[in-house]
Amino acid sequence: MSVDGVDVTGVDRDTLTRPIRSFSTRYIAALAVALGLIGVWLFFYSRQLRHGLIVTNLADWGSGGGVPWGLYIGAFIWWVGIAHGGIILSAAVRLLGMDTYQPVARLAELLTIAALTCAGIFILIHVGRPDRLVTSVLPAWPTRVQWSPLMWDVTVITAYFVLTATYLALTIRYDVTRLRDRLPDRLEPLYSALTVGYTEREDEVVERMVWWIAFAIIIMAPLLLHGGVIPWLFSLLPSMAGWAGGVQGPSFLSIALTSAVAGIIIVAAAFRYAYGWEELIPRAVFQGLAKWLGFFSLIFLWLQLQQVITGIFAAPTTLQHATEVKISTPLYWVAIGLVVLAMLYAFATALRPDLFDLRALVGISVGVLFGTLTEKVLFVVEGLQHAHFALYDGVPGQYVPSAVEISAVLGTIGVVVLFFLVVSKVIPVVELHAIEDHEEVDA
Amino acid sequence: MSTDDGSMYTTVDEADRRLLEETEFDADLGAEMARDAQRVAADELSEVEFYRRYHDRLLAEFDVDDREVEIPDPDEVDADDVNAVDRVEEAFGGLGEALRNVGGEDAESRRSVMKKGAAAAALGLGGLGSAGATTGGEGDGAAGGAGGGAEGDGTRWGMTINLNNCDGCLACMVACNQEHNLSRGANWMYVFAFEDEGQGEETNFLPRTCQHCTDSPCTKVCPVGARHTREEDGLVLTDYDICIGCRYCEVSCPYGVNYFQWGEPDVPESEVDDDHQIDDRGRWVGSRPPEGVMGKCTFCVDRQDGQMGEEKVGTTACQEACAMDAIHFGDLNDPESDPNRHLREYRDGQENDRSDYPNRKGHTVSTFKLMEERGTEPNVRFVGNEPSPHAEQVEGPVAYEDVGLVDDRKEVLDRGAAANGGEEA
Repeated sequence: MSVDGVDVTGVDRDTLTRPIRSFSTRYIAALAVALGLIGVWLFFYSRQLRHGLIVTNLADWGSGGGVPWGLYIGAFIWWVGIAHGGIILSAAVRLLGMDTYQPVARLAELLTIAALTCAGIFILIHVGRPDRLVTSVLPAWPTRVQWSPLMWDVTVITAYFVLTATYLALTIRYDVTRLRDRLPDRLEPLYSALTVGYTEREDEVVERMVWWIAFAIIIMAPLLLHGGVIPWLFSLLPSMAGWAGGVQGPSFLSIALTSAVAGIIIVAAAFRYAYGWEELIPRAVFQGLAKWLGFFSLIFLWLQLQQVITGIFAAPTTLQHATEVKISTPLYWVAIGLVVLAMLYAFATALRPDLFDLRALVGISVGVLFGTLTEKVLFVVEGLQHAHFALYDGVPGQYVPSAVEISAVLGTIGVVVLFFLVVSKVIPVVELHAIEDHEEVDA
Repeated sequence: MSTDDGSMYTTVDEADRRLLEETEFDADLGAEMARDAQRVAADELSEVEFYRRYHDRLLAEFDVDDREVEIPDPDEVDADDVNAVDRVEEAFGGLGEALRNVGGEDAESRRSVMKKGAAAAALGLGGLGSAGATTGGEGDGAAGGAGGGAEGDGTRWGMTINLNNCDGCLACMVACNQEHNLSRGANWMYVFAFEDEGQGEETNFLPRTCQHCTDSPCTKVCPVGARHTREEDGLVLTDYDICIGCRYCEVSCPYGVNYFQWGEPDVPESEVDDDHQIDDRGRWVGSRPPEGVMGKCTFCVDRQDGQMGEEKVGTTACQEACAMDAIHFGDLNDPESDPNRHLREYRDGQENDRSDYPNRKGHTVSTFKLMEERGTEPNVRFVGNEPSPHAEQVEGPVAYEDVGLVDDRKEVLDRGAAANGGEEA
């Protein structure tokens, strides 16, 4: 799905470092919005810290009439999905030589770091005793990692975070060294730390290391991450009708990729808009990303179809019931509808490029992200509402997220915005390689 | 491999016989001994007689003179002489260590376990190590204890709950709530009243505790090992000091027996005695959980550890409160324990008419374990009819509110949420 005519090598270094060297009231406004979102969340979260998880609308399933996992877990899955998809895209650029997307590769890596952080935040606020995350988890690791899917999950996500951070740290040394004259002096200690011991002789070695890391990431993501440990949290449990089964792996992976492409489109469009980067991130990049969005949406919809059809045709009673509830939930169709819309738009603009509009694509991407978050929350909640053991009057349970929970989603979006605002002032968020080949840079 | 030929003992089937025959030893001897060993376990055959019956043939077969120990003179041996079994076992070798580890001063219990050991030894001699070949009684059986991974040596606490006896008075729920200081709606013991298809307006009851599964999904998924099975007696417990409150155990449990402590417990820490909270290993597993961690039925671990007095060992609060003789708690590995004896006696009282169909089982009592097909190997066995998928919970003769209980915990929690935690739950 390469796109012809993407050549940004004419862009100069000043354009590349524009975010670092400029400052505007719009930046202040964006900062205020991000901090505001985080503030609202912290205000609500302080209540949770004080009073416990009772301030959420979660409750016990069974005689308790509720669901013990809800928006927190749904949002956790969502952020991990965005993270995985982001780095897969970046790694694919490197491995498959998809130079078209080089201008957005580092944005994708940064999105991965930010999104994984948000996923971590959701683990932290989901548990009843966050103070024990270190004291209980570390000592238990050697004996529990062979059993608990939750422990696999924590392990693999940590490994992934380390891989991605290493990947970023290695590639950034090259850029920081060569762009040092355009970077602010007050951050000199940081740049010295980032480039400690750098010599040009390492470039070739780093190039090879990064290739292998990208290779590991590409293999790890479908096998272990959103195609593995995250769906296994659910698909391995036979107690809940809507969860068990092998389709969850591919299904989760498709959601991850769809969400990530949508996320990258939004982030890249925001930078393009804010810094006048029409040359650096040309329209053709977004047209290419739109095709990927359409393709992943198709896979997502296909896997949803598989689940619905097997759930209603001649399924066991409890699965049939769970599926009937799923397809009679209006919100589910809103989610599916948003993804259908994205798919149709992407394919339509592929056929008729004159229909393409960047603002429309961004709007559709926001819709896709809302759709995937909704689908995942419904998956968790409705899964728990339809346990096989349904003798309880309180099964199916009830759940509508509380303000505390909703504020956490807004808060983590604020965290991602804040992350990009800060990072873009410190390091170039587009690789130097995007505008200059090695030879040119070294010349 | 069970044949129902009027006895409840397993015989050696063809596959096992072939195995026996592949050994260099006498297959007939092994098979006969296996069968008689089970008779010993059921008190139909004395240990001394069992020993005497096979002693000469064993010597002839194995030619092991050095194994010869003082054979107790039957005339001098008391029927309850535990040591006689010890000597038999010593002569046969192999199981001594396991049997000596059986704790407790209860000679009756120790004896019965030993008898099972002797049964295992007999087959072991025949060249078969398979535990499956040595179990006395059928899977959910009476004589050899219930089927399950922990079957065999040691204590395995469990229940037989006779649904035919339950009248839905909820006394067990009240007793459990009080004894464990539970917050409103955290019904570790929960009694369903339900109507089922084809039973008209008749109300059935099902008291539901934690099933203390031998292969429990909750212990498997716990990321930190807080939810664990206590080795000494198979209790499935939560270490309140370790639990991080992720609620994965609750999500993985097919029965919905977990109750998270969403807010401040109704009964403060200062009012709960340490004796009820700390078990004999020094771990905090008893009484209601503190805020932010998971709780569920513990089979009254404090009682089993003797913290409420020796006379309370082998009892639970719910069982004690049950005036209808529905709940029977005890060691499932002990054929003489309350749950095993109750089932046996209940079956004996409902004999099947086998005059025309001799292959029918000996009784008409139906038993089940909840969702046994999930492979969890529950240690709670029910007598009565299993609720069908169409069963529906209905209001029972005694409403939860009438006895001061809360059914729908979410209502309590929602009030807490609305008040931003101002209310306890």
